[in-house]
Amino acid sequence: MTRIHKQDSLLVESRFLWASLSVLVLLSGLFFRLWYVQIYQGEYYQGISERNRVRKIEIPAPRGIIYDRNGDVILGNSPFYDLVYIPQYVQDRDTTFKVLSRLLHVPTNRFETRLEMAQGQPKFLPITLKRNLSQHEVSMIEANKIFLPGIEVRVAPRRDYGPDVPPHLVGYLREIDPKGLQKLNKDASGNPYLIGDLVGKQGIEARWEKHLRGKRGYRLIQVDAFGRQTQGFEERGWQFPSVPAIPGSDLELTLDKELQKIAREAFNGKNGAVVVLNPQNGEILAAVSEPGFDPRAMQNGLSAEEWRRLTEHPFKPFLDKTTGGEFPPGSVYKAVVALAALEERVVDENKTYFCPGHFTLGNRLFYCHERHGHGTVNLIKAMLKSCDVYFYQVGVELGVDRIAKYAKALGLGQMLNFGLNMERPGLVPTSAWKMLVHRFPWAAGDTPNVSIGQGYNLITPIQMANLYATIANGGKVWRPYVVNRVTNHVGEIIYEHQPELIHEVTEIKPQTFDMIRQSLMAVVMDPQGTGKNAIVPGVTVAGKTGSVQVVSLKKNRNQGDVSMNWKEHAMFAAFSPVEHAEIAVAVVSQNDPIGGGGRSAAPVAGKIIAAYWKLKEARALARQQAEAPAPGAEEREAAKL
Amino acid sequence: MRSKKRQSDGVFLMPEGDLKRPHSPQVTLLCLLFAGMLSIGFINLYSASIGAPFFWTQLRNLLITLSAFFLFGWLIPIKKVSAYTYWFVGLICVLLTIVLFSGRIAGGAQRWISLGPISFQPSEFAKLAVALSVARFFSANRQDAPYRLRDIMPLAGIIGIIFVLIFAQPDFGTAGVCFLIGLCQLAFIRLDIRSVAAVVLSTPIVAAIGWNMLLLPYQKLRILNLLNPQLDPQDTGYHALQSLIAVGSGGLFGKGYMQGTQAHLRFLPERHTDFIFSVFAEEHGFWGSVLVFVGFGLLAYIALDIAKHSKDTFSGLLAIGLGTLIFLEFIINVAMVMGIFPVVGIPLPFFSYGSSAMLTICVSLGLLISINRTNSGVSKR
Repeated sequence: MTRIHKQDSLLVESRFLWASLSVLVLLSGLFFRLWYVQIYQGEYYQGISERNRVRKIEIPAPRGIIYDRNGDVILGNSPFYDLVYIPQYVQDRDTTFKVLSRLLHVPTNRFETRLEMAQGQPKFLPITLKRNLSQHEVSMIEANKIFLPGIEVRVAPRRDYGPDVPPHLVGYLREIDPKGLQKLNKDASGNPYLIGDLVGKQGIEARWEKHLRGKRGYRLIQVDAFGRQTQGFEERGWQFPSVPAIPGSDLELTLDKELQKIAREAFNGKNGAVVVLNPQNGEILAAVSEPGFDPRAMQNGLSAEEWRRLTEHPFKPFLDKTTGGEFPPGSVYKAVVALAALEERVVDENKTYFCPGHFTLGNRLFYCHERHGHGTVNLIKAMLKSCDVYFYQVGVELGVDRIAKYAKALGLGQMLNFGLNMERPGLVPTSAWKMLVHRFPWAAGDTPNVSIGQGYNLITPIQMANLYATIANGGKVWRPYVVNRVTNHVGEIIYEHQPELIHEVTEIKPQTFDMIRQSLMAVVMDPQGTGKNAIVPGVTVAGKTGSVQVVSLKKNRNQGDVSMNWKEHAMFAAFSPVEHAEIAVAVVSQNDPIGGGGRSAAPVAGKIIAAYWKLKEARALARQQAEAPAPGAEEREAAKL
Repeated sequence: MRSKKRQSDGVFLMPEGDLKRPHSPQVTLLCLLFAGMLSIGFINLYSASIGAPFFWTQLRNLLITLSAFFLFGWLIPIKKVSAYTYWFVGLICVLLTIVLFSGRIAGGAQRWISLGPISFQPSEFAKLAVALSVARFFSANRQDAPYRLRDIMPLAGIIGIIFVLIFAQPDFGTAGVCFLIGLCQLAFIRLDIRSVAAVVLSTPIVAAIGWNMLLLPYQKLRILNLLNPQLDPQDTGYHALQSLIAVGSGGLFGKGYMQGTQAHLRFLPERHTDFIFSVFAEEHGFWGSVLVFVGFGLLAYIALDIAKHSKDTFSGLLAIGLGTLIFLEFIINVAMVMGIFPVVGIPLPFFSYGSSAMLTICVSLGLLISINRTNSGVSKR
């Protein structure tokens, strides 16, 4: 072995070759690794690096706005703040929840249940932990953001319910449940629902969900390692691509917001429903169902307690009584019986019966609501006094099946296919129906009850309004509708409703309708009429009261003593004016606290009709003023001449 | 003889201590490399420490480190260095002991000594101490026969003490580097083959005994974490991954100076010290990194060349030790940054923030120049 500088140095010369080789090998190793990482796998790491710093922020689409017939907003949107959790960026779940729980005073298990609901969705999708943060909560979260990686406050447009939104008709939104999510996403390709999205659950919101929901967009932002948004790179001319959200389509309803408000105020304190529609084409002008619920609370999520209270309420707040509430029509039905009787020539306008206050059929006694009797009554008088004995007689002479024939022709006993909520068909009893359902033949004693609208008869408020609309317009049964037009976000009309005639009543002659209209007008306009509380100065109103006994009462029991559930239903159906009617109203007050149809329901209808004319006049005046040429223009015209 | 050709070095024959002209191509190259690497390092540090004052602190300390470079390169003769070696080693051992008991804690280990406004890491200088003591030992104990184990026992003792003191901080990386520097220097000495075999064979047994009897549980845990980053994904695993992403996303030409997203958006941890190379690789890409590799490779070959042409054992072994110090740190750091080596706290020479490390590097380069100047002046007869 040779040594360099044999005398001095101990270093072995041959080792330098090995050393040089080692250096070369090590350098080559690093070089190869560098090539592998930067060139061979460069794109892969570039992707990771991009994903590190670029976040996709979902932009929720605002739901379509719901307008009334005059272009006033019934239901719009406002920004709300939500607390969201993005699993991908959360480092320590338990600590995060502990901090959040302390900041927001919410128990941690509530957050955990929200997470469990969202199990199985991709890690980068946000999960809503808490909705509708207050301004204070938002600032608390923002201030502590450095301790809360993966937690963000997102702003989302949400329904802003005013006090006058009819909850049943418009419906409400609820957070989508995981099962419903899969079902909905089957036909919502390209625009999937996410956990935490709100979805329409009733009324228009549910029926028009596809049009109202819009399409969410997204935006890319750059964040640092702590998930905080940074601006730096965009300032240097970078622009991240973004896709704006497409708002949902706007709905124009046939509803009149003002009238709706007045109807609700007039009906205040009662349980039941009010339907106001236009007899000439079936458009709904107002629809009230009481008791209601707060759609705002539904959107935010109900507590179990609130939920229980709503579902156990005796008057079923969730039921839309305008279409889903079936009531015995009571004396309101007498118009149908009268039409049948006239058309079948059982009676004519002059035929009289004597009312001693009761009616005997076989060994059964049927009382008139006026126990002292109405004396001798003809058709007009029987209607205006609502004499039961007259209609017992007529009904018995007609027979149940002949009444049913006309009732069905007028659209009763079948669904109107209004298309919202759970619609019920009501019931028009026939002898065949009783045999089929009750397995018992029709008894003669059933007929008197049916002919005054009690017994087996059932009718929904919307049917009642439509019945009187048909009487008012001379035999046209229109299909009621509430959505007039759907306009998408760029203003194209994508749906426009044409009034739809279900059928035209050919069985009844126009003169017969005219006669009935005259008698119904007498009910309201005659000082002795039962419906005189519905009178509106300046216009003609025709209508019919109805008071339905829920249980038969003993002679001297006072209504006031009867418990809530046993009180009578108060009904009133009306239209105005008598010829070429523009408005038909049905008021159904369930177990009314005040009294019968004449005392309780008629004033409600009266107020609504009065408001309708007042509004019409005011709007006509406003339009006139708007259209009238400015005084200056006239002068200029004059000067030209 | 091959060495006769080397007489042409006489062209550069200059009197000692002359600062005006470079003495050999090695010195010129070293100075150029030093200046170049330092500039790249500082430019990169500026980008890596944006938002923090590290760049300016380092620049201020450059005055001290540069003066050390000139001091050891031109003013202090290598013989003086040789004479004071054991004093220096002794001082380092004392400082390391002080650190163990009253050092400042940073990054989970006691590494720092604070003296008023100055704080420094004795373990950085310990690397120098190892290189010096090995060189000094063999120049003082020369023997023609191969060295046996018992011949180098005193040296083993010195290195062992330094190793244990640093290991106990705990700073496994630096301890390992110290050990490896000594080992590389020994590789140039004729050792008795039986002694080497005995040491190699007994290593597993010693390691097993040490593992089971000497190490405390938390130290064991730290070593395990080091070897298996998945055990501790929160820190080292995350750091290593982000560093790899930074290097990988640099691509061929990099993202551009000051444009590294991984660094500037703070995804990279320790980006001004241990992981500074990922900042460089991210911003300057493959070609920039290759340039740095070439620089360090060149440095290693110059150091080897200086060692080869040194006239005595001390100079030769010292040059080997210093070259190893710089090159080893570079290899370990870059391997660590590129995810093929466990994350140990080894700084990258010229690049990483840290004045102790910078001072060590400057002194090393100064000593290399000094060795070369001393040797090239004397032609070999």
